[in-house]
Amino acid sequence: MRDSRRARLVLAMLLLTAFTLITLDYRSGGGGPLRKIGNAVFGPVERAVGAVAHPIGSFFSGLGHLNSYKSENNRLKAQNQHLLQQLRLTDGDRAHLASAEKLLHLAGQAQFRIAAARVVAYGGAFGFESTATIDVGSQDGVRPNETVINGDGLVGKTLQVGPTTSTILLGNDPNFTAGARLEKTQQIGHVDGGGRNPMTFTLLGSQATMVPGDRLVTFASLNDRPFVAEVPIGRIVRIQPTPGQLFSTGVVAPYVNFSSVDVVGVVVGTPRTVPRDSLLPPSPTPSGTPSSPPATPSTPASGSPSGSPTPGRSP
Amino acid sequence: MRRGLLTTAVVFTALILQAAVVNRLPLPGGRPDLPVVVVVALALVGGPSYGAVLGFAVGLGADVLPPADHTLGRLALAYAIVGYLAGLVEDVEERSVLTTVAVVGIASAVAVILFAGIGALVGDNRITAAAVTRSLGATVIYDVVLAPFVVPLVSGAVRRTQLSGP
Repeated sequence: MRDSRRARLVLAMLLLTAFTLITLDYRSGGGGPLRKIGNAVFGPVERAVGAVAHPIGSFFSGLGHLNSYKSENNRLKAQNQHLLQQLRLTDGDRAHLASAEKLLHLAGQAQFRIAAARVVAYGGAFGFESTATIDVGSQDGVRPNETVINGDGLVGKTLQVGPTTSTILLGNDPNFTAGARLEKTQQIGHVDGGGRNPMTFTLLGSQATMVPGDRLVTFASLNDRPFVAEVPIGRIVRIQPTPGQLFSTGVVAPYVNFSSVDVVGVVVGTPRTVPRDSLLPPSPTPSGTPSSPPATPSTPASGSPSGSPTPGRSP
Repeated sequence: MRRGLLTTAVVFTALILQAAVVNRLPLPGGRPDLPVVVVVALALVGGPSYGAVLGFAVGLGADVLPPADHTLGRLALAYAIVGYLAGLVEDVEERSVLTTVAVVGIASAVAVILFAGIGALVGDNRITAAAVTRSLGATVIYDVVLAPFVVPLVSGAVRRTQLSGP
């Protein structure tokens, strides 16, 4: 053993420092000068590395397909792998283009002004946190507490914003909460990220009801921060039995796959009103897959105070 | 001097790789924690007080690395203790792989428990019994898998600079 009094003294001093830091940061509520420095120093590096690391995720998720080539000889195998790799890379590019197109489509429909971005790093802290770094910052007009969307719907909100990068809180983080509204019935409540448990929606009001298949959109926050209205969130898949609870809770299947978020947009400006339920994807069927025809006669925008009918969804 | 530069480079690389690459991998259950493995590898060579200081520095770096969103100092405290404990293990060049792997496994578990424990103290919503169990299992297993590759690489590089340089 190499223990010594000096080592123990060093450790004690460090622990004291750490506890002081924790106390100071806890009381100031985060976002202190140290974090700003971290943002400024590590942000650009993550941007640079993240740009290179983009294909890696798609490469590894494609590895599973390689098993089926075992019977062929080595030359063919190598060739196959090489071709597959090329295919995957172009697949990645194609996916990137498609998601960017979807994002622009949604933002265009809603007339949101967005700062488009890509995710360059994911948070971890032993898997407790669902956060990400995106490659836009205050220089692109992004401020803390703004809505982050992608082509499928709500991704999260911005936390700290550095000069060229920002940290976003993803919708599946346990600290994530957003006001939400059920389509058609207009009942309001809040969605909460559940970590590795599913996202939940809790209705406010004991008379309010929901059924599986109901779809959820965001309910605007005060001055649209952190959340703008009408961004699709997901749909209710089942109602959770909550004995003894005043309000009913449902499990939500979000439209966004939080573990593979790539192209996102930060909403930096909104029109005064967005027509109700106009941004929801055309899939009101409880079975879920977005393969139903674009015409959705089952979702009339009845009861919408703005009086505007659901606009025709462009295919 | 050379050793300091090398250590800084290794630590910086580990922190950035963790955020930009490792956390992106679609692994089931959870993800390895590269900084813990690097702290253990360096502390095994440097001893307890070196390990504690290094762990603190690495943890502070991980605390301010952009996507992090927890109270500052939590990882610094966890890694400082991990570095101290790993430094207590005698440094033998022909240490068996099994010992290394065991030290990394224990260090990962200690790091997760300390991080979660302080989180519970400051009222972090993310710390639940289920989340801790899952994170503990996944982190320990993945770190143990990484250890036989990362630890000899890092320790060996540092030892070589010690032998050749001042």
